[in-house]
Amino acid sequence: MTALTHDALRKLVGEWMAAGKICVGPVEVKPGVVLFQRLASPQDLLLDGWVRPANSIKELLLPRHEVLYGYRVEKNRIELVDQPETVPEQIAICAHPCDAAALPILDKVFNWDFRDEAYNARRQATTVITLGCTRHDDECFCTSVGLGPLAERGSDAMLFDYGDGSFAVSSLTEKGRALLGEAQAAGGHTDAPPVRFDPKEAARFAVDHFADPFWQQHALACVGCGACAYTCPVCHCFDIVDEGNGRHGVRARNWDACQFPLFTLHASGHNPRHGQGDRQRQRIYHKFYVYPEKFGETLCTGCGNCARNCPVGLGVLPLVTEIPHAEPVQA
Amino acid sequence: MQNLYKPDLMEVIGVRQHTSDVKSISLRFQDPERARQFTFVVGQFGIFSAFGAGESTFNICSSSNWRDHIEFCFRKVGRVTEALWQVEEGDTVGFRGAYGRGYPVEEWRGKDLIFLGGGIAMPPIRCAIWYALENREDYGKITVVYGARTVGDLVFVDELAQWAQHPRVQVIQCVDPGGQTPDWSGEIGFVPTVFERAQVPAGGAVSLVIGPPIMIKNTIPVLERMGARMSDVYTSLENRMKCGVGKCGRCNAGPVYVCKEGPVFTFQELQAMPLDY
Repeated sequence: MTALTHDALRKLVGEWMAAGKICVGPVEVKPGVVLFQRLASPQDLLLDGWVRPANSIKELLLPRHEVLYGYRVEKNRIELVDQPETVPEQIAICAHPCDAAALPILDKVFNWDFRDEAYNARRQATTVITLGCTRHDDECFCTSVGLGPLAERGSDAMLFDYGDGSFAVSSLTEKGRALLGEAQAAGGHTDAPPVRFDPKEAARFAVDHFADPFWQQHALACVGCGACAYTCPVCHCFDIVDEGNGRHGVRARNWDACQFPLFTLHASGHNPRHGQGDRQRQRIYHKFYVYPEKFGETLCTGCGNCARNCPVGLGVLPLVTEIPHAEPVQA
Repeated sequence: MQNLYKPDLMEVIGVRQHTSDVKSISLRFQDPERARQFTFVVGQFGIFSAFGAGESTFNICSSSNWRDHIEFCFRKVGRVTEALWQVEEGDTVGFRGAYGRGYPVEEWRGKDLIFLGGGIAMPPIRCAIWYALENREDYGKITVVYGARTVGDLVFVDELAQWAQHPRVQVIQCVDPGGQTPDWSGEIGFVPTVFERAQVPAGGAVSLVIGPPIMIKNTIPVLERMGARMSDVYTSLENRMKCGVGKCGRCNAGPVYVCKEGPVFTFQELQAMPLDY
C-alpha cells in the first residue's frame, strides 16, 4: 500500500477500533478547538488540511492523571493494590512530526538508571502514524531544533498529504508495517518554517544570565497557568499525591509544571525559584541546557504549542527571540 | 511489572519526640527478605509516606551499620508530616529508597571530621556521626558543633552526650543568645562564632555543614579562615522532590538533579552550580 484515500484511511481506522485498539487523532471538539482525542468514530478524524491540535500525544504515554497503585488500610496493616498490567494498544493518527519526535526524547528521562515500566508499557503499546506538515504557522519552529515538517523521528509510519484527498504512505517500523503494510512513498508537498533562533544561543544566555533581570522583565505578564507545559509534547514534570482518605484510596501521578510557585517550595518556606522570572528561566534553561547536558538533545520539538496556548503571548519562541545577542556579563 | 513508585511497607517500631514539633521514627521492613538485602550509604535519603496524606523526602538518619531498622526525623509542618506525627508503634508507613549520593565515607578515612549543624539539620549529620563512631579507628579527631535557636529546639540531645563519651570526640552545643535556660551548660552564640572560638584545625579535615542558609553562609568563611579546602567541605541540599529518581523534574539545581547527583555536594561543586537551591 503506498497511497490511501481519506475514505480508505477512515475504513482502516474503523477496523483498528473494531479490533479494540484505542485510536487517537485530531478532533474538533468545539468550533475552532482541535485536540488530539480518542476517536469515538473514524468520521471524527480531521483530515482536511493542516491543523495543529492544542495538546500533544504525550498523554498517551504520560496521562494527566495516573493511578500508581491503590492502598487499603485495615487497622494498622496496609495493603497495596497493583494496577492492571495489561495496556491496551493505542494508535496516534495524524500526529505531527513535532509530536512524534517527543517520544524518543521522553524515553530517555523515563529510563535513565531507574526504568519507569508503566511508561515503557504504554510506549510499547503505542503506534504513531505521523502526517507530514503541508504548511506552518507563525509559532512553528521545528527547523530551529533540528526537526522539520517531514521529520521521521519517533514515527512508525508517515502519511504525506497530496492535497487530492489521498495520502502517500511510508511505513518506517515493524509497528507501522503491521498496520499499513509495506509502503515506501517519498515526501509530498511541504512548507518548512524558517530557522528562527539558535538553541545553543538560548542555552548560553540562560547559563550566563541565570539571575538576569531579563527573566523577571519578560515574565511580568505570566499568570503561571502552566498551559505551556501541559500542551508541550515533551514537558513531563509530575506530582505524586494521595487521593483518598486514611482508609482507602490511591497514590496518583498528576501533571505538574515548573511555572507553578508551589512546584519547588520547600517545607521551610524557602523557594529556590521564588519569582515568576525564575520559573520562566527554568523552562528555557531546562529545555535548552539541562536536558542537552544530560541527554544530548534539546527538550523541545519546536511545535509552538506553548506560544499558541499562552494567554499572554509568552512561550519558548516569543521568549528566546527576545534574548539579546550581547556579550555575556556575570550575573 | 516492576513499579518504581511502589513503596516498601515498614512497621513502625519506635517513635521519639525531640521537641514540640520534631519526632523521629524507627522502621523495620515488613518483608524479611527485603530487610536482609537492604543496604544504603549514610547521607542517602528516602521517600517516606503516610497513606492518605502522601509522600515526603527525608534523610535516613540512622547509621548504615544498623541492619535491623532505619530511622528518619521530621518537623511537623505540612500535610504529610501532620499525618506522620500521629503514627504510633505498630503502624505501617511507606518507604522508597535509598536514593541519591551519600557521604563518601570511604574517602573520608584517615581524616579528622568536623560536623557543624543547626536546628533540624542534626539528623543528616547524626547518621554520619554514628557511622564514624562505629568505625572509630578509621577516622581522626571528631568535632561536633551543634546549635539551635533555643534549648528546646535541640534534637537528639541524649545522643550528643553519648558521643562526647567516645575517645577523641569533642561535642560543643550552643544556643542563640536568648535561647538559653537557667541551667544551660553549653555555649551561647551562633554556630559559626562558637566554632571559630573553638579553634579546630580544619586544614586536612573533612567538614560536613548542614543547617539553615544563614548558618551555612556564615560558616563557610570561618572554615576558609581555618584552612579548610572547599573540596573537603560537604553539605546536603534539600530541594523539593516528588519521585526521587530523576523523572518528576523539580529538584534540579542548575544542571544537577539533586535526587540523583546529590543530595550530598562539596562546596567546590556548589560553587560551580547556579543559585537554584
